[in-house]
Amino acid sequence: MLNYLIKRLLWMIPMLIGISLISFFIMHLAPGDITASESAFNPKASEESRQKLRALYNLDKPLTTQYGLWLKRIMKLDFGNSFASHQRPVLWETKDAKGNVTKGMIQDALPITLMINLIGLLIIFSISIFLGVTSAVNQNKWPDRLITIIVFIGFAVPGFWLALLLMYWTGVTHSWLPISGLHSVGYEKMGHIAQYVDLFKHLILPVSISSLGGLASISLYVRNGMLDVLQQEFITTARAKGLTENKVIYGHALRNTLLPLITLIGLSIPGLIGGSVIGESIFAISGMGKLFFDAVLMRDFPVVMGILTIGSVLTLFGNLIADIGYAWVDPRIRRGISN
Amino acid sequence: MKNLTQNPLALSGLIIIIAILFIAIFAPWLSPYDPNYIDIQSILLPPSLSHFMGTDGLGRDVFSRMLYGSRISLLVGFVAVGIATVIGTFLGAIAGFYRGYTDSIIMRFVDIMLSIPTFFLILAVIAFLTPSIWNIMIVIGLTSWMGVTRLVRAEFLSLRNREYILAAEAMGASDYRLIAKHLLPNSLTPIIVSSVLGIASAVLTESGLSFLGLGVQAPQSSWGNILTDGKEYIQFAWWLSLFPGLAILITVLGYNLLGEGLRDLLDPKNKNQKK
Repeated sequence: MLNYLIKRLLWMIPMLIGISLISFFIMHLAPGDITASESAFNPKASEESRQKLRALYNLDKPLTTQYGLWLKRIMKLDFGNSFASHQRPVLWETKDAKGNVTKGMIQDALPITLMINLIGLLIIFSISIFLGVTSAVNQNKWPDRLITIIVFIGFAVPGFWLALLLMYWTGVTHSWLPISGLHSVGYEKMGHIAQYVDLFKHLILPVSISSLGGLASISLYVRNGMLDVLQQEFITTARAKGLTENKVIYGHALRNTLLPLITLIGLSIPGLIGGSVIGESIFAISGMGKLFFDAVLMRDFPVVMGILTIGSVLTLFGNLIADIGYAWVDPRIRRGISN
Repeated sequence: MKNLTQNPLALSGLIIIIAILFIAIFAPWLSPYDPNYIDIQSILLPPSLSHFMGTDGLGRDVFSRMLYGSRISLLVGFVAVGIATVIGTFLGAIAGFYRGYTDSIIMRFVDIMLSIPTFFLILAVIAFLTPSIWNIMIVIGLTSWMGVTRLVRAEFLSLRNREYILAAEAMGASDYRLIAKHLLPNSLTPIIVSSVLGIASAVLTESGLSFLGLGVQAPQSSWGNILTDGKEYIQFAWWLSLFPGLAILITVLGYNLLGEGLRDLLDPKNKNQKK
């Protein structure tokens, strides 16, 4: 297990370098000079101040040197300051000479996106395991057919369209649910319980939309996995020794179906983070997706590079945790690796 | 082809896609109005006999814009997936054929690309180029070839040491001949299936980008940018949101059905399972 861990961690180094290379060079695909867009915000920016900016971001040096310097900075987790947004630090809070703390942009946005996606994952798993098992147990009967139709539609529904319809229906015509942001006006003055209720109400729509795609794919996955497992010999053995059908399905088959799901969670992270762009823009939630989208529109290049890198690093760690979890619960993999 | 008609999944998918193809080709004859004709006198009219799907904020006929929008979604789907399939097949073939270092390098590159959130990558690139339909197709293509690479490589690895390949090699067939004449034709099934499914997700990505305003630019109509209007007028004009979303849903459903149907049909393993 230890060997596996070390090997797995060492693999991450070339991966991290590759990711940083791609994030860095994408920004330099842009035609022209980034100071041009910076000074576009501020028409008074003189040639002199543009020179200063170029020096600050080492734009006057060759590309390889720039990359080296950038890499050195991000190793210290310094992603620089935003071009716009009052030049807030991109990643984490900083203190100035007077002791004023300025919060980092990713520091503010990441917990919101994580919260939405983690709640989403919980919902996805509880519902799709139920749907997948029901479907597999009733293979080719009407519950299976019905669930398969739902799954196919779930795959095909554009999330942002459903978000619009739900906004219209629950927010505009009936005013059941709030349709933007995470807090109501006057949130600070509410009691603790009222604050949670308020947050919960704001989360219902965004979380449902963000779980939609995963719901379909994981249901299908559980269904197909169950069908595979149910054909194996140990299931026949379990049935032959007289276990109840419930014990066979939930005790033996389901447990073996769920193992590979751990890897699937890891693989779904980039999709979830990337998918947050449209949902967060529609519901005006200031998470990673909206932050990224706004930064892209303003060509706020330190923020874009920072989020691209942090998002990928999160994915890498997600995969790492998933792989370790998988090796931990499945003795076959653990043994195979330590040999 | 004969089997295709017996598989209800594949058949319904195929019918949907042929219908969309028909609409896209004959859009100029089918549409009752010029899709870009601005009529200030008939702004935001609800669906009626003269405007089947109502009119938008500039008085343009939504039905005509929808018909023309089908062209965008077809074009983006096919071109983007074409690019991804060519890149993916090429890299996967090289990795699976030569193995060793070539394989390691290509597959690590795939891993890196897979760990960058794709939608972020697409947004970043598009924002720095000018948004246009061509840029979108290229960028979607360049960011979605990884799955195909993995598939083709796996297929090549499993075929590489089959006797007929070794025999061809022993007879002095060149690498190119081995790959193009022997290995590729036998790996076509998963490539076709994943391309069809890939079109579905390319259509979704394009509509999302156009919805965000970074995709197809006005006055050209795409289902995604009609939805942008839908969002703006959501309190007064439900028809601007409903129809384009339905169109995207049906299109994506069509490709998914066809893809899954083809997978069932072409995969001998599945045939036995289903009897």
